[in-house]
Formats: sequence, C-alpha cells, structure tokens
Amino acid sequence: MSDGKEQQSAMEEAIARLVANGRLTRRDFLRRAGQGGAYVGGALSLSAILAACGISPAASPSAASAAASAAATSAATPEPTPVPTPAGELNFANWPLYIDVDDNGNHKTLQDFTAATGIKVTYTEDIEDNQSFFGKIQPDLAAGNDTGYDLMVLTDWLIGKMVGLNYLEQIDIPTFVPNFTAHAGDKYKNPSYDPNNAHSVPWQSGITGIAYNPKLTKRPITSLDDLMDPAFKGHVGMFTEMRDTMNLALLWIGVKPLDATMADVQKAQQKLLDQANAGMVRQYYGNEYADALAKGDLWVTMAWSGDIFQLQFDNPDLQFVVPTQGGILWVDNMCIPMKAQHPVDAQMMMNFVYQPEIAAQITEYVNYICPVPEAQAIIKQHATDAKSGGDSETADYLNAVADSPLVFPTADMLSKVYSYKVLTEDEEKQWNDLFQQVVQG
Amino acid sequence: MLRRLRWAVPYLLLTPGGLWLAIFFALPMLLMASVSLQTGSLARGYTLVWNFGIYPDAIIRWHVQIIRSLEYGLIATVLTLVIGYPMAYTIAFRGGRYKNILLLLVILPFFTSFIIRTISWKFVLADQGILLGTLKNLGWLGESFHLIATPIAVVSGITYNFLPFVVLPLYVALEKIDPALIEAATDLYASRFRAFLRVTLPLSLPGLFAASLLSFIPAVGDYVNALLLGSRDTTMIGNVIQVLYLQNNDYPQASALSVVLMAGLLIGVIVYQRMLGGEELTAG
Repeated sequence: MSDGKEQQSAMEEAIARLVANGRLTRRDFLRRAGQGGAYVGGALSLSAILAACGISPAASPSAASAAASAAATSAATPEPTPVPTPAGELNFANWPLYIDVDDNGNHKTLQDFTAATGIKVTYTEDIEDNQSFFGKIQPDLAAGNDTGYDLMVLTDWLIGKMVGLNYLEQIDIPTFVPNFTAHAGDKYKNPSYDPNNAHSVPWQSGITGIAYNPKLTKRPITSLDDLMDPAFKGHVGMFTEMRDTMNLALLWIGVKPLDATMADVQKAQQKLLDQANAGMVRQYYGNEYADALAKGDLWVTMAWSGDIFQLQFDNPDLQFVVPTQGGILWVDNMCIPMKAQHPVDAQMMMNFVYQPEIAAQITEYVNYICPVPEAQAIIKQHATDAKSGGDSETADYLNAVADSPLVFPTADMLSKVYSYKVLTEDEEKQWNDLFQQVVQG
Repeated sequence: MLRRLRWAVPYLLLTPGGLWLAIFFALPMLLMASVSLQTGSLARGYTLVWNFGIYPDAIIRWHVQIIRSLEYGLIATVLTLVIGYPMAYTIAFRGGRYKNILLLLVILPFFTSFIIRTISWKFVLADQGILLGTLKNLGWLGESFHLIATPIAVVSGITYNFLPFVVLPLYVALEKIDPALIEAATDLYASRFRAFLRVTLPLSLPGLFAASLLSFIPAVGDYVNALLLGSRDTTMIGNVIQVLYLQNNDYPQASALSVVLMAGLLIGVIVYQRMLGGEELTAG
C-alpha cells in the first residue's frame, strides 16, 4: 500500500470518527474539542477575567434544583444520625464521552441508576479541562455559594488542591458508599491527594507512560532515557500538560514525585531543557500527540494509556510501556462541591457505580483503567455471552478490553506507577515558571 | 417635529455599533488593563496594587516570542502581498466575465473552519504524508527530514490562512482604477512596466495599506498555526498568552502581555500610516 493511500485512509477515518456517533474515547474527543477550543479561548479568558475581578457571574442552578433545594437543606451535612435522605435529584458534571452512551444518546448507567433509586439525574458534559473548569466554579466556592453541581469528576491533583481550600464536602463511605470499600482496587484506596477518601472516590484512571512505534524505533523502548536517544532526534513527543511532564521528569532523575524538593524539581527541569536543547523533542503536545504517533511523525512519545488502547485497533504495532523508572497513575475522581444541594444523592451515585456490573458497563465503553478489578471477569463473561449469541465482533472487542493491560493493568505495572505531587499555590507557580521555560523556549 | 431631530440621526445610527464596541471591546480592555496591575491568585483572589513593574518584566521574560511574532507576521505579510497582488491584479484586469467566479474561489476556503484547514496542513506536510512520504520513497529526501514543527511550516500556514484577506482589499482597490489612466500613460510613451509603477501601483496604495494591516495584525497575534504546525522553537506571543491564561491561570501576566501586544500594534499602525501618507490613504 502506498503512503498516499495510507494517508488518505487515515484522513477518511478521522473524518468518519468525527461524524460517527459511535465509540470515541474521551481524549480522542478532547483532541478535537481542544483544537476548536483554541477559538473559544478568547471567550473563556474574558469570563476568567470577570471572575478574577470578583465579578462572579450569578450561579445558575437549574430550575429543577432550585425547586428541590428546600427539601435538601436538611440533608446538607451527611452525618450518621439522623440518616439524611436523598432529595430525588442529582446534577452530575462530567467530561465529554466519559460514560457509556448508545446511538440514541442515552446513558444506560444513568437510566439504571434512576430505575434503582428513583433519583432523576441531570447529566452535563461541562468539564473539558481541569484548570478552566476550576476557574469557572471557583468564584462561587470562594463566596460560599452553591455551584449548581452535586457531583463532579476532577483529576486527583485538583482534588488535593480543593481539599486544601476546603471546597469539597466530606463523604460518608461506611453509610453511603459501602460498595467502594467492598470493590475498589487497593491502589485506589487512601490516596495521597485525599487521605482516607474523605472527599472523593475514583471514577476512572489512566497511566502516563511511553508509547512507541517499533517499526520506526527499530528496537523496544523500556526507559525514560530512550527519550534522549540521538537516533530519535526530532521524533520524540512530550506533553504540554505541566503535571504529567514535570512529574515524569522527576521519575527520570530517580525522584519519587511525592518526595520531590525544589532542588529536585530544578534538576528535573534541567533534564527537560537538555532534552529540548539537544533537538530531541519534535513538539510539546496536548491530546493531538496521538495523531502524530499514528501518522508516524512521532516514533516515541509520552502517552496516556487509554489513547494507545484505542490506537492499537488501527495500529496493532504500537506499544505502551511503563518506563523502568516509573510512570504516573492519574485518577479522575467523583467529588461533591461545598454547598451542593443534593449530597446524599451524589453519594448514592458513587455507591452505584462501584457495583462491579455497572463498573464493567462503563469500562466497556470508555476503555480507561477501571478502579473495580472484579469488572474484568464480568467483561469476559459478557464476551462469552456475545460469542454464544453469535456476535463475534462484539465478543472480540470485549475480550480485547478485558485482556488489555491498558484497561486492567498488571500488578507489575501498578507497582511502578506514582501519583502526581499535590502542589501548594506557590509551588504551582514555581513549577509553572520552570516548565514554561522548557515548553516556550 | 421630525425635522428638528435631524441632528440626532447620526448619533442614533452610531448607537448600536457604539454600544457593541463599548460592551465588547472597551469594557473588556479596561478590565484587562486593570487585571494586569493586580496581584494574587485564583484561590486567594486578586487585589489591585498598581503593579506597573509587570510590564517591563513580562516584556523582558518573553521578548524572544514577541520579536519572533513580529518577524513571522512581517514575513507572512510580505509573502501574502507577493502572492496576493498578482492574483488580485489578474482578477481585476483580466478576470473578464469570470471575475465573480474567481472571487468566489478566493473566499471558498472560508467555507471550512480555519482549524480544520490548518489541521489538513498537518496531513499534507506529515513526515510520511502525501508530499514528504512520496519524496522520501523516491529517495530525494532523508528519512528524518520534516517540515511540520519548523518555522517554514508556521510561516507558510499563516501566509495561507491570511491570503484571502489580502486579495480582497487589493482587488477592490485595483478594480476601481480607470483603465483609461493606464492607457493615457502608455500613450505618453510609458512602458507597460513604467505605467504600472507610476499609475497602477500608487493608485492601489490604499488597498495595499489595508491588505497589509489585515494580514499583519492577526498574523502577529495568531497562535493556531504555531500551535498546530510549530514546535517550542516557533512559539509565538499568542501561544504564551494562551498558556498563561488557560493553563497557568496567571491572569495578571497574560493581561499585561495582551495589553503590550495591542498597544504595540496600535502604535506601529499609526507610524505606518504616517509613513505611507495618511491623507492619500483616507482619501483613497
């Protein structure tokens, strides 16, 4: 097959995926949203400025939640006695394409939840980026107002930051979320960013590691040092996401992120600068690195596990590894903002998705790392069912999901991954300054 | 009654546009200028401290990107004019009955989003893509040769994206020129080239002025091309502002840079207009 043809089919495929209503990963979607988002930037920054000036736009809770707020006030603090009762409503903010959806746009998981509990869910895909979503809700939280959301999915470092700012409600795991204790993987309990899961439980997670194309590298990649191999000059991809790149650089110099001192961070930055100055790095990427990898522009790159799992369907050659020095396990968590109107309903949702059957249902669609190990056997069972039902295509797909170490990582992989360091505001500023010197030159 | 209110008509006509400018331009500009002088963080809140020092600091910290943006903007503008002028000239003087179709072809790319078109460039110029992949297979280029992530790709992208903005005003200016003037010049023994230099070119100056601004100003502030086609060595000031606003939430510094960019461009435009002779242009 000629290169031209390959390109054309890649293009057709990209367009087909753009218009298709089918399976599309969250980050796949974000890659496009991010590019479109470039245009939205102006509008966003204006609202951010308004926020910065203390002109906070009025919180606009939906009419429904306003109506129910009176009923829910008694349930504001989840204490064991008297046991608060659900209000019958839930406003749930999540990332795009981060829950199962069928061709008619229905979310079966949410329908099942409503059927089981009677709680009506208003589900919005309002979160496209941690930083800008935080910028949007922060003025309300700072002013002690309801944000209009009861349940949100945010990445671990932001959870850590918001816990520090006292922006999150406590959750009562023994009373409301027993399924978490019963079914969550050990790696997901008592995380450094939220001790004892006092405010959050994981939704999905993923690993930041290295992906490569063995046809182009012509050898297996195992170590972060391979990102410095002169043979790959100009074909190495790194991320614009400050936390991913800086924490990985810390692992590169042999420092566990949680133990990092400022001196370590500077050394890590020097490593990244050396790499950039040696002309190794082709570009610093957002979500669009996956396209560059698929097209062959990148030979070896920092990567998110979920993306590579998706890319492998079209490019079975592509490999993902957790480097010998370690990788990052990032976790997106469900949490409840302060002054939420329906905190009990939110915790019931947390409990609901920790049933292995429901966890499997979500993972079958989103393909990120599932915090419920038992879901693997259930997906396998679904595959067997599909096979005996004559649908071998679905069976193959489900088997691929259940067997992939990118969805259910091996114990060896999990032993080598670390969390992001949770940063204070001053640290964050210093890290940002150091990192921008690397990325912007 | 109505006759007496005549004096108010121009004001009434200006009101919608004026309000629009006030709400969506003047007010945000003031807010931005104010934010640039504040200190604080998203979590702690901001206070106005009249921190004028942020301006020299920001300019010094990011001078490389500022200069690079002006450089790229200038090169792209010159390229758009070099490519666009002959195009506009041909359409205006030789277009005949195809004029409208040719003009439609010039604006046809606008039917697709700017972003999509720039992403298509990534496909066209990809290392193993239609162009480079073929040349590499033929052995004309080395395996590691690439165009994406180089200044050439970024400047080409900007040139491509702003070309129609140059062709249209140039066309309008050229189209208005009375061919009789050129004929008169040639009748007086001017060569065709001399007639162009002495008649056509000066008469098209207003269009040239508008075209160069319509290309240069957005090109300097552009960040989409550098983001999609560039690398760290092609970072433009727009990219810095975007990252500072959206990724670092460093609103004061981002605002300061935005103000610097706008003020710098404004001063540049005024000087440019003086140089080219404002009278002629506004009269044109």
